[in-house]
Amino acid sequence: MSRAGRIRSETVAAGKAFLRRRTAVFFTFFFPAIIILIFGALVNTAGGTGGLFTEPPGYYVPGYLAVVVLFTPLSRVGSEVARHREDNRFEKLATTPLRRWEWLAAQTLVNVGIIGVAAAGILLLVVAVTGASIVFSPLLVPFVVLGVALFCGLGAILGSLSDSSDGVIAASNGIALPLLFLSETFVPQSLLPEWLPLWVSPLTYFSRGVRAVAYEPPDTLATSQVPGGLGVAESNLLVLAALTLAFFVVGAVTLPRTD
Amino acid sequence: MVISASDVRRSYGETVALDGVSLDIDAGEIYGLIGPNGAGKTTLVRALTGTTDPEGEVRLLGEDPKRADPQRLGLLPQEFSPPARLTAREVVSYYGGLYDESRDVGETLVDVGLTDSGNTYYEDLSGGQKRRVCVATTLVNDPDVLFLDEPTTGIDPQGRRDVWGLIDALADAGATVLVTTHYMEEAERLCDRVGLLAGGRLVAEGPPAALVAEHGGRPRVEIRADDSDHAREVLAAADYAFVPDERRLVVDDVAPDEVGDVATTLTDAGVAYDGLLWRQPDLEEVYLQLTGQTVGASGTPREVGDE
Repeated sequence: MSRAGRIRSETVAAGKAFLRRRTAVFFTFFFPAIIILIFGALVNTAGGTGGLFTEPPGYYVPGYLAVVVLFTPLSRVGSEVARHREDNRFEKLATTPLRRWEWLAAQTLVNVGIIGVAAAGILLLVVAVTGASIVFSPLLVPFVVLGVALFCGLGAILGSLSDSSDGVIAASNGIALPLLFLSETFVPQSLLPEWLPLWVSPLTYFSRGVRAVAYEPPDTLATSQVPGGLGVAESNLLVLAALTLAFFVVGAVTLPRTD
Repeated sequence: MVISASDVRRSYGETVALDGVSLDIDAGEIYGLIGPNGAGKTTLVRALTGTTDPEGEVRLLGEDPKRADPQRLGLLPQEFSPPARLTAREVVSYYGGLYDESRDVGETLVDVGLTDSGNTYYEDLSGGQKRRVCVATTLVNDPDVLFLDEPTTGIDPQGRRDVWGLIDALADAGATVLVTTHYMEEAERLCDRVGLLAGGRLVAEGPPAALVAEHGGRPRVEIRADDSDHAREVLAAADYAFVPDERRLVVDDVAPDEVGDVATTLTDAGVAYDGLLWRQPDLEEVYLQLTGQTVGASGTPREVGDE
């Protein structure tokens, strides 16, 4: 069995194990849907005079996507690591040919599949509920894939450092919630203190890139250039790719092998 | 040697789990590690498989355990649980898919006695069936070296015999097996050699029969009497010797044809008794002699004299 075969076997098992936990599957799709309904229909985001949730609906697309790209892999992979450790599965896997990075790659593939479907549903729901004008660019795909992989890596780190499933959930919520609102997702940089280093959050590059790709502001060009000739989308994609590689490698290395 | 360890030590904080353990296991051998919970069995398995980092030297298939060819290894950890929402067949298929070559999943399930439960979710299986599935995940790559950490815990007697048969067959085919257990009869029935672990130390090692002959003492009779003090006085007056045991009255060195003499002595003195239990010494006696502890069916260590 090749490396691809091992990853396929792990991916199939992890995918089935997740899809058969109906509550987890339901809330993976329900959570972003309820966020869209709250912000899009109840709060009724719209272009206005400034303040929170007053940008045009399309501005918030990165935020809606971030709900699944950030929360799901972080909590799911973190919990999976904790569950594997509690059930002594890593101890067994350590004596099989499956490498740690192959295990994390399989978990990432499962998350990419699930979140890819959820992201497509989110985009359609945003259009239906808010009437947002979205550019369905193919560049959205690498942003979602890299974002998911990045937070799978971070989830693996959290799971490895936490001593229980409960600890993973608490830690992932404690990290994800600030990131969600301090990464130019729902709250523009102009509404936040200047000293706040939004560049520290990896989600910022996802948010900026997705916005550059999918949102056309009424009075500016969506693909403005940055020094060096790269577009905003491409430059953020490159940063996101580099961060994804770093988080994935660190996540794989920290996965438990010994007691 | 397929497996060797030299002066292996491992501590967790103040707790010493392994204290200078050395052993060598040959190809095709079934080696049993015996001891109660906390004796160091699981830590030793982890040291030998590279899933803990001990002091001392460990070699597995001639390599550092972390470099040993995983295609040739099979490990059943203690308290291992695969994904709950996979069927038994899917669990075995999943682990089989991690190797270059694997056995037929259906045949492997049949081998562990799961002919009708292949399509049942793991979480819906009984405790014994779950353990059989776990054993199957260890056999699915047809390994040359197996580490089975309490493989039959929770399995019914028939299932236990099935697993013994499997292990026998694997060893007959040339596999090397290290099995931990707190079931003494399992070790005696299954193992070519056993190592007795207590407090992280290997206190004795050898074929079960040789250990029993050397350390187990002589055949004995346990007497169950309401007034055991009176029974002890009567038998002592008749020059019978006793096995040191504060909980039970056990007469030492009683051959099978001498059991009637013990009964007659008690009856003639008017001592009422509920039963006389004659037995050969076994590994339990060996463990008791060497460590002052009994293992007990649950694996919980018990000092002699404890109630």
